[in-house]
Order: sequence, then structure tokens, then C-alpha cells
Amino acid sequence: MSLTKAQMVTLFTNLVRAEHFGKMMYRRMMQGKLIGFYHPADGAIAPGVAACSFLNQDDPLWPHHRGHGITHMLSKGIDIKYYLAEHTGKSTGCCNGHSGFHYGFPEHHVHLHSGFIGANFMPTVGYAWAAKQRGKGQVVMNCSGDGSYGEGRAHEGMLMAAVWKLPEVFMCENNGYSIFSTFEEMHPTEDIATMAQGLDIPAVVVDGQDVFAVAEVAIAAIDRARKGQGPSFIEAKCLRFKEHDIGNRDLRGYKPREDEEYQEMQKRDPVVLATERVLADKVLSQDEIDGIHEAAANEVADAEQFADDSEIARPTIEEMEAMVFAP
Amino acid sequence: MRELTYINAIREAIQQEMRADETVFMVGQDIRGGVYPHTKDLVDEFGEDRIVDTPLAETGMFGTAYGAALEGFRPIVDFMFGSCAFVNFNETSIMAGQQYFMHGAKHPLPLVMTAAVGMGKRIGNDHAMFIHSTFCRQPGIKVAMASTPYDAKGMFAQAIRDNNPVMIPWHTGVMQKREHVPEEPYYIPLGVADVKREGSDVTVLANSEQLYNALELAEELAGEISVEVIDPRSFVPFDLDTVLKSLAKTNRIVIVDEDWESCGMASTISARIVEHGFDLLDAPIRRVCLPNIPIPGGYMEDYTRPTKEKIEAAIRDVCA
Repeated sequence: MSLTKAQMVTLFTNLVRAEHFGKMMYRRMMQGKLIGFYHPADGAIAPGVAACSFLNQDDPLWPHHRGHGITHMLSKGIDIKYYLAEHTGKSTGCCNGHSGFHYGFPEHHVHLHSGFIGANFMPTVGYAWAAKQRGKGQVVMNCSGDGSYGEGRAHEGMLMAAVWKLPEVFMCENNGYSIFSTFEEMHPTEDIATMAQGLDIPAVVVDGQDVFAVAEVAIAAIDRARKGQGPSFIEAKCLRFKEHDIGNRDLRGYKPREDEEYQEMQKRDPVVLATERVLADKVLSQDEIDGIHEAAANEVADAEQFADDSEIARPTIEEMEAMVFAP
Repeated sequence: MRELTYINAIREAIQQEMRADETVFMVGQDIRGGVYPHTKDLVDEFGEDRIVDTPLAETGMFGTAYGAALEGFRPIVDFMFGSCAFVNFNETSIMAGQQYFMHGAKHPLPLVMTAAVGMGKRIGNDHAMFIHSTFCRQPGIKVAMASTPYDAKGMFAQAIRDNNPVMIPWHTGVMQKREHVPEEPYYIPLGVADVKREGSDVTVLANSEQLYNALELAEELAGEISVEVIDPRSFVPFDLDTVLKSLAKTNRIVIVDEDWESCGMASTISARIVEHGFDLLDAPIRRVCLPNIPIPGGYMEDYTRPTKEKIEAAIRDVCA
């Protein structure tokens, strides 16, 4: 299948927005203007944009841990300023300042985050079970990295999705690293996709630097799930330009990554590749591309302004105790 | 007067709540066939989409309930045995328990967890162990255990209607207890203790099979020592007021808990009594708990658990 011009514009726009938000998060973390920690997604934003740009509002989503899901959420239509406010401890945050780096947008069917890698497989199997029971054509998008597939939960989640033919898409963003350890060291086969194939889940491997390539397979997988034909697995091979989390050294195994690796990676920057493509295909002009960058920069600036202008959440202990249980 | 066994009282609560609300469903391992009778034949009425058997994968099984609860369902998870709820402790306690608060206290997570617990059947550490104290330490989870068939029905029905994760295990030692249980639905609020027998010399706090030990003792000691027996019924929230009210009368208390002694519910209750009712005490608090040793699988089990003899010794000690 081929993408329409409108779809390509959407993908390119969200990719640029993700790029601007990612750079802002990195900068703010370095400036001490974010609470907790941040795991940059730089270099690996294409799979999330592709996976989430064509979801419906009522499609449950587990955004990837890397990049703290910003790429995924903004592509799904969630206003990131409320997450940025949360990440700065403000009462206007999406979790009312309770969480720091967790997100919760139940109105968009993004219910939670967890610091545990591999935690994604458990709620999502329940989302998908619920979606199947409701029968309204909802699709669950479950995004996580190669490291998460080391968890037993990955097997259980895929097993149940396969057994029950659940409407779920497993988007595996394989950037070749789990923290510092390389994929080759920690996984016995060339592709994680074989795990899904072993459970009879249709699986594809795709170039994760190419947002349009990932989108083509993601749209097909979403469509398949929406028609009640069961789960799919996508392995997007992507690149991690930055360290695992800000403040740590960037290692390959237990030694610093080589300069050549960084230089080689930069040639496959997803925004550079997408820009070349939209220009070559005459989907967008350079002026239009510049306009998209400017709008993204403004959106980020507005989000920062909103977060910075908001009040720090300051409930009393009694008020906090009263919020442990739902009425 | 119609009578039901405890286990069938649970079954009736589940059945009536499932009839009343189509978002209620149950997930477990071989609950269609019914390893224990509380789910027996429910699949015939509600079908396999509402009495759901999963692969033997506790984490995925719980995940099914957890995710579905966030998407608007009201699941009941049956762990079969309590300790199976520790296989996925991250999901049960950290993710489910803390979900509501951590994500802004705006989206409820209605979810019931149940399982068989209890010593007396010589089934060893992994099948007999108690879990209520461990779950009581996890913020955001309500924890309750019914001791009688009447309470079992009302408390299970209430747990299913609660908008929070509720851990409500049941003790194999009481599953065949039988008494009058009304046919129409009724609801017992979680967080309300019940004075099962009034007395004036000493308060004994006991639950599940130990409640029956305490009641038998109270009967045997009547005339010599007047024993007030309270079933806490719910551990989180815990009804401290009823305990303090009793202490104002008896000034002595023995707390019986079949869970381990260390950092157990009996320790927490003792600490709260000291903090809030120290002046009411005429004698030190005594606890009768499971010593901190693994629950043996053989006859050694009998030597470890609280018994009538141990409770009587504690009563005589505080009344001396």
C-alpha cells in the first residue's frame, strides 16, 4: 500500500513536533528544569509517530518508555503541555502533580505509566480484552523497546493476545540497546519478531528510521486488528542517538560508544530522511517544511510557558491521604 | 430459614453482582470447572466471556483484569491460592494499588482479588500462606476477610461494588461453615468490625478460623472470664473505633492473627492501640500469631499455628 499525501504530511508534522519536544526535554533536564529523570528518544522517534498518528481517540495506547512517550502521545492528539507540567511538579499536570514522570490521560485511553520495563504487556492485554468484549472496533497500540521483550511478561502478553485473537498491535522499537547492553549480547536471534511468529502472530521487521515505511506496516496492522483479525507484531529497527538516561555515561556494553558509531547514526536521522523524502516526492515545499518547524517550536515554547507559569502542587498530608482511594 | 455454606455464599454474591452489572466478570485458572466450588457452574449462566479461564500465567491473568478495569469493566481475579498473588506482586501491589493516586486521583480502578488461604490442610508454605498483612502495607488496596457465611456474601458483594482494588481472600478452614444467609442481595461496608460476642473482662480480636476458636473459648471460659470477641472483618480500612470502644470496657486485649508475627496486621493494630488508647490498657497487649518460620507441609504445621490453647494462655496472661 502507499500513503496518501495527507498521511505523509501528518507523519512529517508529528515527526518534527516530536523532534522539537525531544530536544526541549533534553535541554530542560540538563538545566535542572525537569523532575526525576529523562530517557531521550533522539534518533528513534519515527516508530512512535508512525504507530500513533492514525489511532482513534478511544484506541488505548501504551506509549514507549523512551522519550517518556511524548512522541506517541502527541501523535495521538494529546496536548503535551499537561505532561510537561506534570514533569515539572505542577498542579496543572496531567496527574495533578502526583507523579513526576508518569502520564495519565484516561480521556484519551492512556491510563498510566510505570517505571518497570515490560510493565506494558499487562495492562494492554486487559485493554485489548476489554476492546474485544465491547466490540466497537477499538485497537490497542502497545509500544516498547527491545529490552522489554526480555521480560516474561512479553511472552504472557503475546500469548494471551494470540490465544484470544485480541485487537492489539505490538510495536517493538528495537534500538539495539537495553540500557548499555547490546541487543546482540542479550538476545539469541537476529530479530525479536521470531518470538511473535512462534505464537502465530503475524510479524514484520521494518526500517525504524523511515517514518513512512513504519507507517505503512502500522496502518496495515491497525486495520487488521480493527477488523477483528487479531494481533500483529512490528519490529522497527531504530537507532539511539543519546545515552540511556541523562546523567549517565553512554556505553556500548561497558565501554564508551565509539565516535564512528555516532557519526554513522547521524546519517540516518529520521527527520533528515523524512525531509529528503517529502521534498523528493513533492509532498511539501521547503517553505512549508520551515513553517512546520516554526509551528512546532511555538508549540514547545507555549508548553514550557504553561508549565513554568503553573503552581507547584502543594496538598496537605490529609488531602493526599484522601486521594489514595477512589470514592 | 435458608442456609448456605460460606463458599456458596461467595458464589451467590458473585452470581448476583454479575446479574446486576454486565461489566462484572471473573478471570482465573480453571474457574469454569471450579477448583473450588465458588465458581462452579457459573460459566453455564454467564458464558466463557465472563467466566474467563486463562493460561497458567498469573501475571497475564491479572493484567487482563487490571487493563479491563481501566477500560470500564469490574473484574474479579481469582488467584486460586493466595501466594499466587505474589507471582505478579508488581502488578497487584505497586501498579494496581498505587494506580489511582499516582495518576492524579481521577480514574478509579475497580478490581476484586480473591484466593484461598489458610493452614489446617497440610498443604505447605506455598498453598497455605496468609497474604493479608503483606497487602495491608500496600497503599491503595483495601483488604478484608470474612469469617462467616453471612459476612462473606455481604462483603464480597460490597467489594465488587467498590471503586478500588480490594483483596478479599477466604480461609479454607471456614469454607464449609453454614448458617442463614438471606437470598436477596445485601452489602456489608468494608471498614466496619463486628462484635461477635459481648464480654467485659478481655477483648479478643480474631478472624476467619481463629474467630471460631475465640468464640468456643469465650463459651468455655464463661463464668470465669468474660470474653468479648471482635471480628475486624476488614483490615484496610481498619475499624479502630470499635476496638477502642471495647477496650474502654475490658481494658485488656489479645490479638489473634494467623499471619506471620513480624510486621503483621497484629503488630499494626497493637501500635495503633498504643498510640490512640494507651490509657485504656490495664495490661500489656498480647499477640497470638504465626511465628516467623515457613509454614511446614507435614504434621509440623499443627505446632506452628495459633490454637485455642495458645489463645487461652494469652487471655489468662493479660487477665492475671
